[in-house]
Amino acid sequence: MPELALRVNGEQRSLEVEDRTLLVHALRDGLGLTGTHVGCDTSQCGACTVLLDGRAVKSCTLLALQAEAAEVTTIEGLATDGELHPVQRAFVEHHGLQCGYCTPGMILTAIDVLARDPRPDDATVRHALRGNLCRCTGYQPIVEAIRAAGGTPP
Amino acid sequence: MTDAIGVPRPRLDAPDKVTGATRYAADGWVHGLLHARLVLSTEAHALLRGIDRDAALAVDGVVAVLTAADLPLAASGRDRTAEPLAGEEVVFAGQPVALVVAESEAAAEDGAEAVLVDYEPLDAILDLQEAMRPGAPLARRAEGGPEGPDLGSVHATVDRGQEAEDGEQLSGNVLDVVTRRAGDVAAALRASDAVVSATFRTPWVYQAYIEPQACTAWLEPGGTLVVSTSTQGAFATRNEVARAFDLPLDRVRVVAEPLGGAFGGKFALVEPLAAGAALALRRAVRLVFTRSEDFLATNPVSAQVTELTVGARKDGTLTALSARMLVDRGTNAGWGLEGTTSLLVAGPYRWEAHDVRGYGVQTNRVTFGAYRGPGAPTAAFALESLLDELAEKLRLDPLELRLRNAVVEGDTGIAGRPFPVIGTVEVLERVREHPLWTERASLPEGEGIGVAAGYWPGAVEPAAAVCRVDRDGTMTVVTSAVDMSGTDTTFAAIAAAAFGLPVEKVRVVAADTSAGHYAGASGGSKVTYTVGTAVLRAAEAARAKLLAAASAELEIAPGDLEVEDGVVRAIGAPERSLTVEELAARALRFGGRHEPIEGLGGSAQARGAPSVAAHLAHVRVDRETGEIELVRHVIVQDVGRALNPALVEGQMRGGTVQGMGWALYEELAHDEVGSLATGSFLDYAIPTAERVPEIETVIVEVPAPDGPFGAKGIGEAPVVAVAPAIANAVAAAVGVRLRQLPMTAPRVWTALRDAGSPASGT
Amino acid sequence: MIPAPLRYVRASSLDEALEALAEPDARALAGGQSLVSILKLRVVRPSVVVDIGRLDLRGVESGDGELRIGALTTWAELASAPELAGPALAAVAECAASIGDLQVRNRGTIGGSLAHVDPASDMPAVMLALGARVVLRSAAAQRELEVGDFFVGPFTTTLGEHELVTEVVLPVPAPGSGSAYRSVEHPASGFALAGAAALVGPDGARAVGVTGIASVPRRLPDGVDPESALEGIDVYGDRFAPAEYRRELARVVVERALASAASRAQGERE
Repeated sequence: MPELALRVNGEQRSLEVEDRTLLVHALRDGLGLTGTHVGCDTSQCGACTVLLDGRAVKSCTLLALQAEAAEVTTIEGLATDGELHPVQRAFVEHHGLQCGYCTPGMILTAIDVLARDPRPDDATVRHALRGNLCRCTGYQPIVEAIRAAGGTPP
Repeated sequence: MTDAIGVPRPRLDAPDKVTGATRYAADGWVHGLLHARLVLSTEAHALLRGIDRDAALAVDGVVAVLTAADLPLAASGRDRTAEPLAGEEVVFAGQPVALVVAESEAAAEDGAEAVLVDYEPLDAILDLQEAMRPGAPLARRAEGGPEGPDLGSVHATVDRGQEAEDGEQLSGNVLDVVTRRAGDVAAALRASDAVVSATFRTPWVYQAYIEPQACTAWLEPGGTLVVSTSTQGAFATRNEVARAFDLPLDRVRVVAEPLGGAFGGKFALVEPLAAGAALALRRAVRLVFTRSEDFLATNPVSAQVTELTVGARKDGTLTALSARMLVDRGTNAGWGLEGTTSLLVAGPYRWEAHDVRGYGVQTNRVTFGAYRGPGAPTAAFALESLLDELAEKLRLDPLELRLRNAVVEGDTGIAGRPFPVIGTVEVLERVREHPLWTERASLPEGEGIGVAAGYWPGAVEPAAAVCRVDRDGTMTVVTSAVDMSGTDTTFAAIAAAAFGLPVEKVRVVAADTSAGHYAGASGGSKVTYTVGTAVLRAAEAARAKLLAAASAELEIAPGDLEVEDGVVRAIGAPERSLTVEELAARALRFGGRHEPIEGLGGSAQARGAPSVAAHLAHVRVDRETGEIELVRHVIVQDVGRALNPALVEGQMRGGTVQGMGWALYEELAHDEVGSLATGSFLDYAIPTAERVPEIETVIVEVPAPDGPFGAKGIGEAPVVAVAPAIANAVAAAVGVRLRQLPMTAPRVWTALRDAGSPASGT
Repeated sequence: MIPAPLRYVRASSLDEALEALAEPDARALAGGQSLVSILKLRVVRPSVVVDIGRLDLRGVESGDGELRIGALTTWAELASAPELAGPALAAVAECAASIGDLQVRNRGTIGGSLAHVDPASDMPAVMLALGARVVLRSAAAQRELEVGDFFVGPFTTTLGEHELVTEVVLPVPAPGSGSAYRSVEHPASGFALAGAAALVGPDGARAVGVTGIASVPRRLPDGVDPESALEGIDVYGDRFAPAEYRRELARVVVERALASAASRAQGERE
């Protein structure tokens, strides 16, 4: 079985994968990083979103081997020394979650959105969340959390 | 104490959820775990002639291919607990017929593909109205007669029919008829100044929780079957698993893992499959549904046809309601929604006479299940649409019409029981003064505002809880209630307020069935009301223990002591005090002189607490494409008491957006042979962030007499009347009435064209 | 959910890629947004998947009145490319910014999409209206084709078995031109129920490409009024959107795309 070597959450990791293994399964089963979730099989729900070389991607729509030598950030890699990342803190403070299953994907997409523009308007954020489905919140507190994290007052 | 209640606070589990620390049902590591994949029927109705496992067993990594005969099933019946895998007869396309168990998920999937199933197709009955006619093919063959199963079933394939009480001829597919009648409807309608009638159709709708169903089961060395699962009810699941395999209750331990959404769809459906495999193989088995499997083989809520007639006098008094409600059950013979929907079609209004009949009809589709307020959105779509039409005919304000007839406490509902405290009037009055309603006449062409109201009766079930103070002066609340809507966070607030601790010092644990205290499944809008009351009483009982200990230590009568912010003080002499931590430390140690500071509380309310939610929808219709844009939305709801406004608003918004899905997007469509045609998120559209507006929430508080601090269950009412509010707004905007959900762009366009819309280009 | 067993090969040069693609039943993997999706559903089962994602086929170069876009340029890169700013080529960025979703746009490539030619995908309509060409490389040769000759049927192009799309060539429209893309999306998949791209020249000349309504995206005959042009198309219908509705949608999006392109041509701010 091929060996995949990549950086995950700032650490060099290496693990055995099958040629056909999806990146999401490599992260969850191979590295025990279960914060990245599987919610569908048609690449729409976004629960599996991670950052690949700084950009939000759906880890269910990549073969793990496509990520060779890449830099991957999962939800587990955001907090530093027990301090929540600003986007994580904003989701808590603005009630941007209920069941939490879509939340890791939402947060990682949010980081990509805010990296392009720290002060997006409501419509821009909603458009950017097209690939992240939530069934619990109705999206509004998620949009508020993302804008607040970037510095837009509620 | 006032600080804990009524304050918006983040959920207790939010930090874990935003860091990915929460372990959902598919996440935990289990030693020696095997993985399962389902083989699902491709036929809507067939005899299962044989299953060829050879090719599947030859796949590298496959350990077993299990059929019904391989599971130690012991329950009788044809429900999905007794028959988790099809026996002789397959009754819906997507029904599980085999379970492939392997060393990896990939191998299980490879194996499942290789299983060959031999079906002998039978006539499938798919149309709801056809299914009711005498002579219709039966969706499920009757059980065998004295000649034995085969001959009996041959005789019973074509239905002999049955007769309802008034001579109505019905097929054997009609499993239940509910009749509710009072007064002389015909006379009342004749005496009405306006009568309107129409037929409304709603589709099969999928709960679409983002976490697919998932369950892991294994046998502990001592023989206990452990079931770790994504479920709404630990004890309910334990009952079903025990029943499936005829196990004593204490040999089954159900652990309810953090729930990734459920909305009614996760009630003991999948556990018998994983548990059966674990028992058969004596190995740990994990079954995680793929989204495709979840679309096909779980339990969405079902289609309904409602023929409704309502009448009123010219002053707006509602006179009579007559309804015939056909409710598709799919192949669920165990229970139906015809009772609930036939009750809720009357809405929160008074009627002088009514005649409602609900039919539960089986067809060759998946077993239906519950979805947030089951039976309510379908009924409200019909009623609230027709109320607007009545108002139009009588030239009355549609909100005034509703207010004139709004039920108050003591009014008799059509089930013959008086309504308890209910905030219909308070809610509608708040809607009436909202600017979105008052300024609705001044909108541009193609835009309109619609109003609708709905309610959910709430439910009751006995519950128990314990509040335990630990040596550090913090409190642990123990229930077994599954936290679906943030209820754990509410329990902490209730316990903190009732006991006298800062809320930060309270944690909540949902224990498994071996150690937890009884709670019914989460659903029905009752957890805060029932379990919350048990928590309140448990906190009060613990407080009594605290005061007994303090009384002994301080030599002051308990009645002269107060507890605030974790400190017990003498009333009027605050310098005589002890902290909760000090008292706990004196109790919880070798030779301690006080009982542990723990309290048990229970609840068994006699009546539920209904919640009313009304909606104002502002829509803009693109006449050329038929697309409906949701511009703005307001929900006004009577919540009893908002113990945590952030959580309450979360339910209000979340339910509203699900209602928007009902209104505009969601339909599980089948093809002509009963296969699901919309079996993925590529075809089945749930609302996205782009397609829903900001939703303004208006909380009205009419305290529930039997709820903790006046609170009650509020999770389902928000979804009920969204679709008719939007339908009424579309009528206001472009003058067409849609009577079928969802109101997709093609349907709106067709309705406009048929109405001769100037922009339709024909 | 999980692809059928396959062999993965990572190409570090174009020649290596073409050699690997010569194996029977091999498929090229670019961004993977189309291919990995159908691998997971086991709709296709190639024996070899050749990852061309690291080849140097990205970026936009301008020269000689044309833009040369590397086949591996992503939608996100196209949506923000300065060479595509301005009214004449506005349809490209406008379309690229609305394809799929943010995650898809970070990975999906123009070459991959054109080679896949889903009958309801958006960018083919824009390429048709703008008169784009694809550059196809094989081990032995290189050729260029008008996209209209490249797209031949549903998910079918004239790409040879051992060829790769390496570039997309866009003629830069004359100054005073404007272009636009409009579509009505299926609310679930986001694919076009009907999509139209329009290019309006300084002299009012119009070119229109449509997608979502037939077995393959196509350019409407130039100089024919759109409504008549659409009449000549056998419009597809399904349970959700019947043919007569789609035909009407097509008329509407063509009209809207033309109106937007025309106002951009006139330098008007919309």
